[in-house]
Amino acid sequence: MIDLKRISKWVNVGGKPNFILKDINLHIKEGEFVSIMGPSGSGKSSLLNIIGMLDDASEGEYFFLGNPVHTMKEKQRSLLYKQYIGFVFQAYHLIDELTVYENIETPLIYQNIKSSERQAMVADILDRFQIVGKKDLFPTQLSGGQQQLVGIARALIAKPKLLLADEPTGNLNSRQGEEIMDLFKQLNKEGVTIIQVTHSEKNAGYGSHIINLLDGRVELT
Amino acid sequence: MLKNYLRIAFRNLSKYKFISFINLFGLTVGLACCLLILTYILHETSYDKYNRQAGRIYRVTRSFNNDQGVVSLHLGAVAPPFGPLLKNDFPDIQQVTRLLPIGHQMPMRYEDKIFNEGDLFFADSSFPGMFDMTVLKGNPRTALADPFSMMLTPAVARKYFGDADPINKVIRMNNQFNVKVTGIFQPFPSAAHLHPEVLLSFNTLKDSAVYGEKSLQTNWGNNAFYTYLLLPEHYPARSLEAQLPAFLDRRMHPNDAPADYKASKYTRLFLQPLTAIHLHSHLDEEIEENGDAGRVTVFGAIALFILLIACINYMNLSTARSSLRAKEIGIRKVSGALRQEIIIQFLSESILLSYMALLLAVGLTWLTLPGLNSVTGLQLSIYTLLQPLVLLPLLLTPLVVGILSGLYPALFLSSFQPSKVLKGLLKVGNGNVSFRKVLVVTQFAITIVLLISTAIVFQQLHYMQNTSLGFDKEHVVTLGYNNGLDNAYESFRTALLRDPHIRQVTRSSRIPSGRLLDDKGAASTETGDSLRPVNATIKYVAVDQDFVSTYSIPIVAGRNFSRDYATDTTAFLLNVAATQALGIRHPQDIVGKNFRYGKVLGKVIGVMADINFESLHQAIVPLILILPDNKDAANAFGRISIKIAGNKDNITAALAHLEKTWKTYLPEVPFDYTFLDEKFQQLYVSEQRQGTLFTAFSGIAVFIACLGLLGLSSFSISQRIKEIGIRKVLGASTTGLVRLLSVDFLRLIILAALIAFPIAWFAMHSWLSDFAYRISIQWWVFGLAGLLAAVVALVTISLQALKAALSNPVRSLRSE
Repeated sequence: MIDLKRISKWVNVGGKPNFILKDINLHIKEGEFVSIMGPSGSGKSSLLNIIGMLDDASEGEYFFLGNPVHTMKEKQRSLLYKQYIGFVFQAYHLIDELTVYENIETPLIYQNIKSSERQAMVADILDRFQIVGKKDLFPTQLSGGQQQLVGIARALIAKPKLLLADEPTGNLNSRQGEEIMDLFKQLNKEGVTIIQVTHSEKNAGYGSHIINLLDGRVELT
Repeated sequence: MLKNYLRIAFRNLSKYKFISFINLFGLTVGLACCLLILTYILHETSYDKYNRQAGRIYRVTRSFNNDQGVVSLHLGAVAPPFGPLLKNDFPDIQQVTRLLPIGHQMPMRYEDKIFNEGDLFFADSSFPGMFDMTVLKGNPRTALADPFSMMLTPAVARKYFGDADPINKVIRMNNQFNVKVTGIFQPFPSAAHLHPEVLLSFNTLKDSAVYGEKSLQTNWGNNAFYTYLLLPEHYPARSLEAQLPAFLDRRMHPNDAPADYKASKYTRLFLQPLTAIHLHSHLDEEIEENGDAGRVTVFGAIALFILLIACINYMNLSTARSSLRAKEIGIRKVSGALRQEIIIQFLSESILLSYMALLLAVGLTWLTLPGLNSVTGLQLSIYTLLQPLVLLPLLLTPLVVGILSGLYPALFLSSFQPSKVLKGLLKVGNGNVSFRKVLVVTQFAITIVLLISTAIVFQQLHYMQNTSLGFDKEHVVTLGYNNGLDNAYESFRTALLRDPHIRQVTRSSRIPSGRLLDDKGAASTETGDSLRPVNATIKYVAVDQDFVSTYSIPIVAGRNFSRDYATDTTAFLLNVAATQALGIRHPQDIVGKNFRYGKVLGKVIGVMADINFESLHQAIVPLILILPDNKDAANAFGRISIKIAGNKDNITAALAHLEKTWKTYLPEVPFDYTFLDEKFQQLYVSEQRQGTLFTAFSGIAVFIACLGLLGLSSFSISQRIKEIGIRKVLGASTTGLVRLLSVDFLRLIILAALIAFPIAWFAMHSWLSDFAYRISIQWWVFGLAGLLAAVVALVTISLQALKAALSNPVRSLRSE
């Protein structure tokens, strides 16, 4: 599903390149649950952003489902990821001005799905995550765990093939964290490919596969 | 999708109430200014267009050359013979109508009711057919056909007849002749270049007691007859105009002219479209004071500038608050939003806001229009906006305003990279900050230009109202001269002077504050032992012996007219400007010299100082005072001026005595007076209005610009909150911090001032050039305006800066 070939990412500091990612080769198959680990500044999030097409690599090739992402224009990439990729963030990143229902609905709006169809899809996922009663609340009225649940619901609403999670449990207590990880495992069983960035060995253990990063390189395990 | 956009727009508006208020308020006020000025512009440009035949009606105007071919006078009216002769010589002309304004108060009496009427016109019987008039009673085609018939407006009719039917009632005019009411017509709309209240049939003038048929055919000198032509559809008026010099040579031959006289050498006729009169005609004689295309443009520009300032606020505040929306944009992008979808979302927000502003602006316009009407003296109506050609662009305006003010923020905001904003790494680029600085400089440059203009308009007004005119205009009461006094004048004068408060009484053809338009033609002066023609146009005023003393006009050389010299009826009193035009260096050199003015040969008895007889828009012109003999007095004099001594009580007493004496001598004429200084005030009414409007609009501009600055400074301070925290921890004082934060903005204001100064100087220089007597533009006005803008801006900023400087640094440092 994902093929990274000699991916490097650098920024110029005082005229000299400062590598964030260097020479990454990675192959992730459909249905995998991959955890990316590594110390702060090792390039975990940058790698995730590149995989999620939110950021460009400075060098290298990236194939997503066989499509050469590195040659695409922003618009084409956007069309690709809105169809196949869902994002979950450490800080939940819900739109404060929208209700739970509207937050979950947002991705569907950008996929030009009809209103009636949207209603059915949102109702389904609310039901599945058991947050029907909260659909008219605003994010600030929810606990962290509940907000992250909404964040995941939003990521999944468009039925993506790939879920990218950047420290999804980082702002949660351990009980809430476990619930989220259990949900991820469940989703993975249902066929969603998951890539998560985490600091926690325990959470990494939920995955089928761990990638360790250090100073922008993949550490061989 | 749009629903989703609007929903979030509304929620954002209500969440950030203060910023929304600034934006909405600014746009509302900006749009309201535009609507107000639009109604004004629509009114000004609609003059006379209500006439169905407006596009085919032309007014004949006449210019006069002196011997060098320089135009010395251009009148909106012409002599009475031109109308019928034009009709006769040019068969293409479908209709001609002539209009003679009486120009002064006319006493009209019905039974025991006597009133002075001002807006009287003699009108050809074709008048009601050429102009669109609503005739309520009588037959419009015949109402003005017979001599001694007239049409009235309902208001005038009601004064005399109450609710009785006015038709066929007879009114006595000036105790001289009787006129029958044959019609009632609606008053003309306010957007008309004339507003008659009484129309007298033109044929009345044929009566030799009134004017005389012969004079109507031969009097080429009385250019008081406004003459209108109706031409066929799409007729090339210019080609008709080109034939007019030949027409003049063929037709116009004054009695005393030499055989080889060619009229076209001395005078020209022009055709002026009816619809161009109000905004473009500023001739030496007009029926009413016209508008000014330049003023309309200036106010249009001001409206757009205010709207621009409001739009800039929106841009500034939206981009300034971008960090608040950054997360949302990031999430939307991650959720699959394309850049153009984000752009459309933000544009729909600004467009929504603009439409809300338009709605409020309509309300605000409705509320403030009466105020504008009272300042401008116009009758503007908001309903003039309800015409398709106006309404459609008007409804599209918020779209344009919304796009104009929303496009930059939308482009800017939609460029955020989700991977950065969602990590909290958003740094609003420096390029963006400098663009916003450009916007602020623009706002303040406009504001400072308006401030300077306001100050200079007021300085000029103050100058005009307070500068010495060279004579004494205080405590002078003037009345219309009535021919009933012709024979009794000396006794009337003596009776008035019996009151100790009345110092002087005089008669004259014109009084100061009026125009100087009369001249009797060529002048010749004694050089050596012969008379040599003078190459200058000299205007005259007919006066009696007391004119100079009533107005305290200084005599520079020689003497004033005197009752002691019977020969003074052929004597001349020149002003200094006239002696200069004659090439005389010392005024006393001309005293006692022979002089010919028009047909009268006499002597110069004295020279008086130059006085500003006309408004200060006009330069002082060569002027001659003449003393008509008693038999000419009836036609020569138009006004009586009475100089009253001292204080208010004196004036009341004197006026009472004046009225009593008036009633004794002229029981048939209502007593109607004006104070001369009030007449002078009225000369500058349009400048006064302009000043008031300038003040209002520049105040609004300053206010909106400061609101914007408030938003911008709060943003800039929030950007530097960490810096402030660190500086505070390191020991910076509050005042030091406020200075640090304010100095950036001060630089912008100084830059704005530097841009504004030359623009303001240029604009006001050209405005002042309309005045013959004007102030010189002083540098301190510029300094003051700049300082004012800077102070207002600094107060706005330092309040924000103070808040930031007083805040606890621990909080700002931790939150990073």
